[in-house]
Amino acid sequence: MRTSPRVRAGQYVLLAGFLLFLGFPVLWIVSASFKSSAELNSLSASLIPNEWVFTNFTEALERQNLLRSAANSFLVAVCTMVLGVVLTLPMSYALARLRGKLRAAGTVWILATQVFPQILIIIPLFLVLRTVMLNDTLFGLILVYVTFTLPFTLWMMQGYVAAIPRELEDAGAMDGANRFRVLLHIVFPLLRPGLMATAMFTFVSAWNEFFLALVLLQSPELYTLPITLRSFLGAEGQTQLGPLAAGAVLATIPSVIVFGFLQKKLTGGMLAGAVKG
Amino acid sequence: MKKNHGIVALALLSAGTLALAGCQQGSASGGGEDGDGGDGAVTLQFQSLSDQPGAQAAVSAAVDSWNADNPDVQVEILQAGWDGAYDKLITQFTGGTAPDIIHFDAASIVPFASDGYLADLSDGLSDEVLADVPEGIWDSVTVNDQIIAYPSTMQSYMVFANADLLAAAGVEVPTGDSMTWDQLREIAQATTTADVYGLGWGLGSPAATVMTLAQGFGGDFFSGSGDDVQIEVGPNELEVPERIHQMAYEDASLDPVSLTQSGSDVLASFYGGTVAMTVQGSFQAANMAGDAPEDLNWVTLPPLAGSEGALQAANPQTYSVNIDSAHVEEATAFLNYFASGETIGAIAQADALIPASTSAREIVATETGGENGWDQILASADGLVGAPFLHADAYAAWKDTVLNPALQQYLGDQITADQLAQQLTEGWG
Amino acid sequence: MSAATAAVATPSARSARSRRSGGPSGPRQRAERREAIALVIPALLPIIVFSVIPLAVGVALGFTNATLARNATIEFIGFDNFVKLAGDTAFWNSFGIGIVWATSVAVLTGVCALALASLLNANLRFKPLTRIIVLIPWAMPPVVTGIVWRMIYDVNSGPLNAALGWFGLGPVNWLGDFSTALPAVIVVGIWSGLPQTTVLLLAGMQSIPTELHEAAAMDGANGARRFWHVTLPGLRSVLIAITSIDFIWNFNDFGIVYVLTEGGPGGRTMIPPLFTYLEAFRNREIGYASAMGDVLVLAILLILSVYIVVQFRQQKEGRS
Repeated sequence: MRTSPRVRAGQYVLLAGFLLFLGFPVLWIVSASFKSSAELNSLSASLIPNEWVFTNFTEALERQNLLRSAANSFLVAVCTMVLGVVLTLPMSYALARLRGKLRAAGTVWILATQVFPQILIIIPLFLVLRTVMLNDTLFGLILVYVTFTLPFTLWMMQGYVAAIPRELEDAGAMDGANRFRVLLHIVFPLLRPGLMATAMFTFVSAWNEFFLALVLLQSPELYTLPITLRSFLGAEGQTQLGPLAAGAVLATIPSVIVFGFLQKKLTGGMLAGAVKG
Repeated sequence: MKKNHGIVALALLSAGTLALAGCQQGSASGGGEDGDGGDGAVTLQFQSLSDQPGAQAAVSAAVDSWNADNPDVQVEILQAGWDGAYDKLITQFTGGTAPDIIHFDAASIVPFASDGYLADLSDGLSDEVLADVPEGIWDSVTVNDQIIAYPSTMQSYMVFANADLLAAAGVEVPTGDSMTWDQLREIAQATTTADVYGLGWGLGSPAATVMTLAQGFGGDFFSGSGDDVQIEVGPNELEVPERIHQMAYEDASLDPVSLTQSGSDVLASFYGGTVAMTVQGSFQAANMAGDAPEDLNWVTLPPLAGSEGALQAANPQTYSVNIDSAHVEEATAFLNYFASGETIGAIAQADALIPASTSAREIVATETGGENGWDQILASADGLVGAPFLHADAYAAWKDTVLNPALQQYLGDQITADQLAQQLTEGWG
Repeated sequence: MSAATAAVATPSARSARSRRSGGPSGPRQRAERREAIALVIPALLPIIVFSVIPLAVGVALGFTNATLARNATIEFIGFDNFVKLAGDTAFWNSFGIGIVWATSVAVLTGVCALALASLLNANLRFKPLTRIIVLIPWAMPPVVTGIVWRMIYDVNSGPLNAALGWFGLGPVNWLGDFSTALPAVIVVGIWSGLPQTTVLLLAGMQSIPTELHEAAAMDGANGARRFWHVTLPGLRSVLIAITSIDFIWNFNDFGIVYVLTEGGPGGRTMIPPLFTYLEAFRNREIGYASAMGDVLVLAILLILSVYIVVQFRQQKEGRS
């Protein structure tokens, strides 16, 4: 599988273009987090701050309970991720491999949740949560996040399941392994890349979700990170750009670490083994 | 055989779910406390949106001293943010979990009053408090003859000028109680050069500015109240957009690009010396004091006056009481306490806003010494009055779907003033 | 539509199964069914409580005159809301923009993500680093997305115009100009959706057995051919799933658009869900707003069903 040098060069140029497109706005926010308020409100457009200031970070950390809300967010995001993965894996398999009314109902539900404007579900959802006394709790928020991310994770995972050749399972079954074993040792390992992508999705969704957290949480000590970050957007568009940028940069770091961790598992290159196993 | 495995898997999964659920419940239950304490004391929830450290300190100080004086009625601050505050509040009200005392602004809180969620404060507020705030401002928080909020602080639109550029153009900085739109136009023309526009005006979302300043020409737009509101877009209503259009496209003294930007974007141009004047919310004076380059010699010009005087619509920040609160009386009593000149004055200074009450205005005037434009800004407060659009039920949606787009098209020179009037009228109701 | 998908999605699976177990209702079928139910049950309670019930209430409200006023009485009014909606020209006018916006973002994101995922899957240098850089925009809090792009697009102080200036071009008022506002917003939509779509496609590529590639390579297929004949068919179900969901999400999400332009200039970027939001929360007419929601559901499902059916039909033809 050799690639010609010209193609290779083209690939690098294209990749560099993508990296510039995706990375530049990130760099710009990082640069903004080190700029003084005066520089941010000037006509200069340099990526390197004229004068490096660090007060944005101290201000972000000191003033808005950033750390407490980060801890809340982390708890919520990790629990959502774990629960989400645990529920998605078997359900997506069932949804992809089996048919009949159950599957049809599942598909309708998945699409309906995604298509129906979320804003219209908020108030009925709030009333339900209040009835079961879970409004203004992180546990309620986690359950809501899990059920709200589940349609998408199922939708994606059933795509991955569908891509697994049925023959692999049949081969396993012929070797005499029972169905549960086939699932555990043949199907699930093959789904690992998709599962890792799913885990990333649930983590980031829960970590960055703003609107549901805003309306479901009332006590300031339960606020999640996005709520705290938004408090830098004041009334009348008085955005405190520097501290907001600093807060956003800090808020990005945990997700990137989680990504780095899951990313390794996403690309394990384990398929060759799985087929023989 | 297979069936059993299915059940095992199921059992494992549910056990896992429950275990997780259990571990979570423990950590979450520390959170939300409910209304009343067990010892007979009343606890009032006070949702505050103040975001400047100085304002938060002033709010806390007032609450702490109230709590010390009133052991039976304890006030608990729920700090929330401006962004999304409306969405949060409407969910809270509909879900029956809204706090007892609610901080917001007039235009946003009035719909809740129309829907019956706010207590009438007319009788509960003390005479002193009532007398301390001018009549015109009470108008902006009066719905169906009920006072539904205490107005605290507000902004006006001010013209800020680069004194050096004015001097270079041979223009004297205007003084006096007010400045006419014609004067503004003349100065803008005089200061326009090859590199400098006379005026930069961040009107990317023009609705609020136009509706507010239209008061100066008697541009009411609406008559009636609640859901039976009629619109009329006549010469008075069109005066402000037409004058802006004229400066931008006839005189070329107003930077047309600035008409698509936000106020703070244009501030950067003002700091950079590419516009000689800019119209901004009065609170920007505080930002200018901090962010403007050292050598920028900026001044605040007198309030803009139309044919009816230097009038602007008042959209004050407000403190309201939830009608479903178990303790409306106590909450109103707290508002009487909170409405002191010292507290409101301190909040106003921290937020760089104009106090609605006379006593607080005096305190701010004394403490700032009129520096950094405070003299002109406080003077502009005399022209702040209630405006009909604050009481029109469908205003918020009309503003976003009709008013802003139509004004953007007009100020972008895409449609005529007649078409603007037509779009506004047809888009209503 | 779902039935159609189900029927065409698993043709090979079905034939394999019926061959093996000798009939559609054999004991194995029943066992699988029980198994499926067991696999689904743990999540069923939260799904019903937090998702199905609110959803059903939301859909049903479209047939009522519900408002958010205190102690509002709710009456069923049949199709009155829909009749009223039929005459709401502003809402229907925004449909065109919504479809242009959602389709462009979904298609362009899909194409870019396919290219980017292939690059990340190829044996290029600095792979771990590039893979992380690609993901960072996904990790960034959405609240700053609008802010940073507004800075980049800024007429006077934005780096984009500064870069154009080096070539003697511009300045362009990206978000303020009537002709560039929508394309500029679409670029931001792609930027924020690209990382996630790329990861999902990358995961799909990882799931394609390497043997297939090796076999194709031995048959003498070059990179482009292998991509066309091995990668793309293997990714098909994932690609369809992700582009349809991207379409739905973008159609429903007025957040990015609103933060960047507030619907401006002159309504050029106003999309239907904004009307739903304003009607539900600002006008507090939740009944009428829910009717809008119901119409949006039907419209999107109609568009999607055409797309999905066409896609799967091609797949079927490709196989036979």
